[in-house]
Amino acid sequence: MTDQAIIKTQNLNKNFHDPVEFQALKNINIQINQGEFVSIVGSSGSGKSTLLYVLSTLDTDYTGHIYFDGDDLSLKTKNELAEIRNQKIGFIFQFHYLLPEFTVLENICLPASKLAKYSEEEIKDRAYKKLDLLGLRDQALKKANKLSGGQQQRVALARALINEPKIIFGDEPTGNLDSKNSQNVFDIFKELKEQFNQSIVVVTHDMSFANKTDRIITLKDGEVI
Amino acid sequence: MKKNPLLKIALTHLFSKKRQTIVAMLGVTFGIAIFIFQAGLMSGFQDFFIQETVNTTANIRIYNEAEKNRPSILDKINHQPNHWNAVQNQKPKDEQSKIKNGYQIISILEKDSRVAGVSPFLGSQAIFKVGIAQIAGRVSGVDIVKENILFDVSKNMKQGNITKLETIPNGIILGDGLADLLGAKINDNISVVSPLGVNLDMKIVGINHSGLTDVDKSRAYINIRNAQKLLQVDGSYITDINIKLKDFSQSEELAKFYNSKFGFRSIDWKEANASVFSVFKIQNMVTYLIIVSILVVSGFGIFNILMMIIYEKMPDIAILKAIGYKDRDIKIIFLTESLIIGTSGGLLGLVVGFFMQKIVGSIRMDIKGFVSMEYLHFNSTPGFYLFAFVFGIITTAVAGYIPARKAAKVDAIDIIRSK
Ligand SMILES: Nc1ncnc2c1ncn2[C@@H]1O[C@H](COP(=O)(O)OP(=O)(O)OP(=O)(O)O)[C@@H](O)[C@H]1O
Ligand SMILES: [Mg+2]
Repeated sequence: MTDQAIIKTQNLNKNFHDPVEFQALKNINIQINQGEFVSIVGSSGSGKSTLLYVLSTLDTDYTGHIYFDGDDLSLKTKNELAEIRNQKIGFIFQFHYLLPEFTVLENICLPASKLAKYSEEEIKDRAYKKLDLLGLRDQALKKANKLSGGQQQRVALARALINEPKIIFGDEPTGNLDSKNSQNVFDIFKELKEQFNQSIVVVTHDMSFANKTDRIITLKDGEVI
Repeated sequence: MKKNPLLKIALTHLFSKKRQTIVAMLGVTFGIAIFIFQAGLMSGFQDFFIQETVNTTANIRIYNEAEKNRPSILDKINHQPNHWNAVQNQKPKDEQSKIKNGYQIISILEKDSRVAGVSPFLGSQAIFKVGIAQIAGRVSGVDIVKENILFDVSKNMKQGNITKLETIPNGIILGDGLADLLGAKINDNISVVSPLGVNLDMKIVGINHSGLTDVDKSRAYINIRNAQKLLQVDGSYITDINIKLKDFSQSEELAKFYNSKFGFRSIDWKEANASVFSVFKIQNMVTYLIIVSILVVSGFGIFNILMMIIYEKMPDIAILKAIGYKDRDIKIIFLTESLIIGTSGGLLGLVVGFFMQKIVGSIRMDIKGFVSMEYLHFNSTPGFYLFAFVFGIITTAVAGYIPARKAAKVDAIDIIRSK
């Protein structure tokens, strides 16, 4: 069982110090396996985003241990964490986050250009395939800031997929989507899991979405219940 | 071909702030252009001046230096450590500034293979009189043929011919400034009075223009025999020997050599013009100080715009970091931006500087000051352009480094959370 874990936490705690001491995550011990589709639910302020940032190596100010692909993240340098994020992690932020002056296509290509595993031509090809998947091919050459919120969110999803990461984190990735697009995104996740054995961790308020996933982790006041 | 995303990001940032980018760029352009113009002007002027002095100052001059601070006789005979001799009102010895055996030294020098020409000299102060006009100046008693080998006197003749100084027994060649002051023209008669009161009536056989204003206003060439008459000395009396070398860069070395060989003071042209060179040094320092300050100001321009871009593009930096760009990549982006501003501004500055030189250099100035020149002389050696450009790039890199480091240190999670 353990050898399958892509992420495993051990007594994970997270405190904010400013403006007052506040414990946002309390003694979290969870494990997410390769190829698992997990949803995280909980009321607003329960620590879902905080947990996602810590798990995705962006936030390194925690106590306890996070094992990513078997390695203890607290032993990694900043550069090594950046490489992990680039190669193995895809992230869709709660507030979709694109480079506004770049085209949709360029935004999607950014992680792949950094990885530089494929030629620029090939990267573009792959980006177009992701856009097709999300029904956005016709938007490819538009500037990112000219897109609607829902479109931007799907572009962020395409960007998260481009390097074929081992795990994809989504902070309410369907928050801005109608039910049809929301279903589409769910189907994509499911296919990634089934076909490519990628792990998916999604924060959501949508219980019907959560109920369709393999497992639900519920947070309350920073604790898993 | 792989397109570099960092370069593209850098360019996008600059394009999103076109106006400020151009202002920062023009700051560098201005700095570099002034650099080229100013340094070229200074160095061109100095080169011109050195050229003129090399043409009018002997490579080496041998003369008899009267001993100043001579120890008193008492000091010489009664020199003890704990004694102190007082001699008041000690007068300089009535020592002739004549070079003994001057003509023998000249013939030795003429056989020296490193020497291109030797010219004897006997100078004196004199009053020039034409009618009621009288001007104090100096006569240079020379052997004009030899003098011509050293100083190319004939090239600077505005009127007349130098050989007349040989053929006409009482010929005189006036500096053009001096002739103007006296209102004298060629073939006019002029009287020359020496400090000893000897009066010679002479005939102007030429007008000379050396380019050094002070010299042209005060100097006249006469035959060395006439100078000896003015000073009431014998035909072997000379005060100076001027030497032109085949290779003038040997001046300093050979001056030392002749100094010990002949026992008379020998100085090279650099030493003779030491005061001028020290002025040049100060002039250069001031010039470079001004240039450096301009570049520092343009450096601040770059610093400024980069800080603006960084504050505005914080979210971009955060995203890039979140998707795996390293601190170093971020640093490269902003350093690239500063180098783009620096390089484009710098290249434009080189072009502008070049044309500033060309345009100003083509305006007829007719400057009559320290030296007289019709046009400003610019030194436009590639070295200046290279130096200016490299210096500009260094300034730019330094100005860009601080913001770039700041950008690299941005904490991505702080920004993502605060959105
Ligand atoms: N930078 C911060 N400084 C101090 N406290 C913070 C900071 N960021 C978050 N918190 C606190 O941590 C707790 C968890 O926040 P988090 O953003 O993880 O909630 P969430 O579950 O994602 O909520 P939502 O569903 O509204 O997005 C909240 O109580 C919040 O006030
Ligand atoms: Mg949240």
